[in-house]
Amino acid sequence: MMKVVAATLLAAVVNLQVTIAADSANASLQTADLSKPLSKDWPTFNGDYSGRRFSELSQINQSNVKRLTLAWMSQFQTVGIKSTPLMVNGILYFTTPDNVWAADAHSGETIWHYYRPSQGDHIGNRGVGMYGDWLYFGTPDCHLVSLDAKTGNLRWDIELADPKAGYFATMAPLIVRDHVIVGVSGDVTDVPGFLASVDPVTGSVQWKWNSEPKPGEPGSETWPQGTDAVTHGGGMTWMTGTYDPGLNQLYWGIGNPNPVLNGDIRKGENLYTCSIVSLNPDTGKLLWHFQPSPHDTHDWDAVQTPVLVDDDYNGVHRKLLLQASRNGFFFVLDRTTGEHILTTPFVATNWSKGIDSRGQPIPNPAKEPKPDGVLVSPGSDGATNWMAPTFDPKSQLFLFSARRLWSLFYMTAEGKPEGWAGRDRNLWADSFLVGMDYKTGNIRWKHEMGKGEAVAGLLSTAGNLLFTADNANNLLALDPATGKTLWHAHVSAGMLTGPTTYELDGKQYLLTAVGSLLIAWTLAE
Amino acid sequence: MLKRFQRAWLFALILITPAWGQGHKPATAVSESDPAAVERGQAQFKSSCGFCHGEDATGSRAPDLVRSSIVAHDEQGSLLAPTIRNGRPDQGMPAFPALSDKQVADIIAFLHHQAYEASHSAHVPGNYPVAKLLTGNAEAGKAFFLGDGGCSGCHSLDGDLKGIASRMNPIDLQQAIVYPNNSRAPKPTATVTLKDGTRYEGKILHQDEFRISIMAQDGWYRSFAVPDVTIAIHDPLEAHRALTSRYTDADIHNLFAFLEKAK
Repeated sequence: MMKVVAATLLAAVVNLQVTIAADSANASLQTADLSKPLSKDWPTFNGDYSGRRFSELSQINQSNVKRLTLAWMSQFQTVGIKSTPLMVNGILYFTTPDNVWAADAHSGETIWHYYRPSQGDHIGNRGVGMYGDWLYFGTPDCHLVSLDAKTGNLRWDIELADPKAGYFATMAPLIVRDHVIVGVSGDVTDVPGFLASVDPVTGSVQWKWNSEPKPGEPGSETWPQGTDAVTHGGGMTWMTGTYDPGLNQLYWGIGNPNPVLNGDIRKGENLYTCSIVSLNPDTGKLLWHFQPSPHDTHDWDAVQTPVLVDDDYNGVHRKLLLQASRNGFFFVLDRTTGEHILTTPFVATNWSKGIDSRGQPIPNPAKEPKPDGVLVSPGSDGATNWMAPTFDPKSQLFLFSARRLWSLFYMTAEGKPEGWAGRDRNLWADSFLVGMDYKTGNIRWKHEMGKGEAVAGLLSTAGNLLFTADNANNLLALDPATGKTLWHAHVSAGMLTGPTTYELDGKQYLLTAVGSLLIAWTLAE
Repeated sequence: MLKRFQRAWLFALILITPAWGQGHKPATAVSESDPAAVERGQAQFKSSCGFCHGEDATGSRAPDLVRSSIVAHDEQGSLLAPTIRNGRPDQGMPAFPALSDKQVADIIAFLHHQAYEASHSAHVPGNYPVAKLLTGNAEAGKAFFLGDGGCSGCHSLDGDLKGIASRMNPIDLQQAIVYPNNSRAPKPTATVTLKDGTRYEGKILHQDEFRISIMAQDGWYRSFAVPDVTIAIHDPLEAHRALTSRYTDADIHNLFAFLEKAK
């Protein structure tokens, strides 16, 4: 409580300064810049609001990519880096759980390091959000802290949700005008998820959207009535969403319901778990929803980046949303209305009885986890997962990391299930990249990545290049149109996040996080 | 919403705090890792609390305690002991002043055990009971083994699978039937032929689209650039991979019954 009071007081003091910070031409980050195509900086988790992770930079291109060479390499005393570093005005900002660094983007030298030890789940942290001169960072004990980007000094620290109840925070906050949009993680206990908007100046909560409807609200009919099922919740909001500034609509993927592997006590579709939702960022009001995994019993969060693409198709201008979902299906929606356009599997799955009139897969009850084991594709780790996809406008291909993954699912609970209530045991997995024609769902090319589960994200650039890493510790540059390898470098560990790119002093850099190393590449002189 | 939640917690703490000073925290230490205490607590909970909170504490007329905030924040009975002693009259919960310190400590141990089990339930234990897995028909499993499954092409009950059910946990055996990814499973090998006809053969240590490395028959680690050589991979588990998508769940349960009962 004292922290909240202190934060409020502090906020009152700094309130005057924010107007200056956000409006001044000298500010580190103008939030309006997040609406522009991604070029020299990398100012937000996905580079820009669209989730396309496509950079306009083309100095490094197909004709010279073989000349990529080491620009700098910097080792940090920490666990593997899962965050996407921001790059704003020559400074990188990146994280691991409890840690934030600012480093010189020319050299990798540390400028400052913020450390805040905490209890809670330390599985990973995906990075910071930036507003003006300030940073926003989620913690293992489910706090949101704001730092001064110049110094790394703490501005305020608020609790988003009770860590003792099982909540923690990993996602990179998304800044939309004067809103810091933050989600929460945690499904080992039965707690309800939510998305919150926090005032960037004061740290006060502007609105909170709950992943589950209240009794009597639309969607509540998709839960059992007269039981406590809906309060078991789930629906974590652990990946950064996307935003359309023209429509002023926010797009967010929502996690699985609880108990995770047992659906018996929560019969129904369980909205808005495993859904893609669109919200008004100013009010948190739900505009539409679409549910990739109705009544999920396999941990298939629908949190994969909702990628925003515009096209002209048969003479009609369309504003689309694409998602390759953890459950093995690819979806195309009209992002204004949520109207369904296309559903198609991108791996062989065996859990669905077909597609309903709304474009949603129909789960087969025979493939829900059972005490004696059920064979399901994909396993709970998913046919894809948090790994960033990319959209390459030139080839018009949606590019993402996929897996063939088979697993035996067991429902282990005796009596009333709580928490996970079971688990799957992986059988085998192999990974591949997909180049998909999003208009049809046809797979134009596959690039095999090796045995196991790939976890590297993707980046495409105007240099006609696709960057990622395979399962054997190779960094790769591919032709996005064909999937053909153009460059590779073997490194000491796997890439646990997506590559990024930026330009400084007329020079384009490719930035790759490998274990706890940052490695920057540029063209040989 | 957040602030309201935090305020509610502050009230809860204020209400409960005076009880600490009155010696309501049990004198007997709460030992949630002691199975005997948990078992005693379960029996006590069932008789004193189960009617309202459900015998397993997952809720009935009264709230689910497995995911209750008070249980989550309790340390050694700091919050639970006063709640049990004093009840929550405003919410209809009676007080239990007659319980001994030990009985209260046991109930608290049981509640922490239940919360721990729920939050650690993303796990299939190695000693998972065979009775739960034995739902198949051993005769049908045998027919699949000898026929459709093609298992007998590589395996036999008198040979490599002799005593298999005694050597493995049931849950591991069922998984290994579909795909044996344990450390004892046979590993893929490669035959690498150089342009001059020299051949090396051995276990694959590294493989990607650029290089292959094997422990060759001469005992040396050898690594080759993929474009320079011809590679033939021998994966002893290839048949398992090919069969995976063809299995019905009944096939798996029948095969398991056949192998488990052949003990």
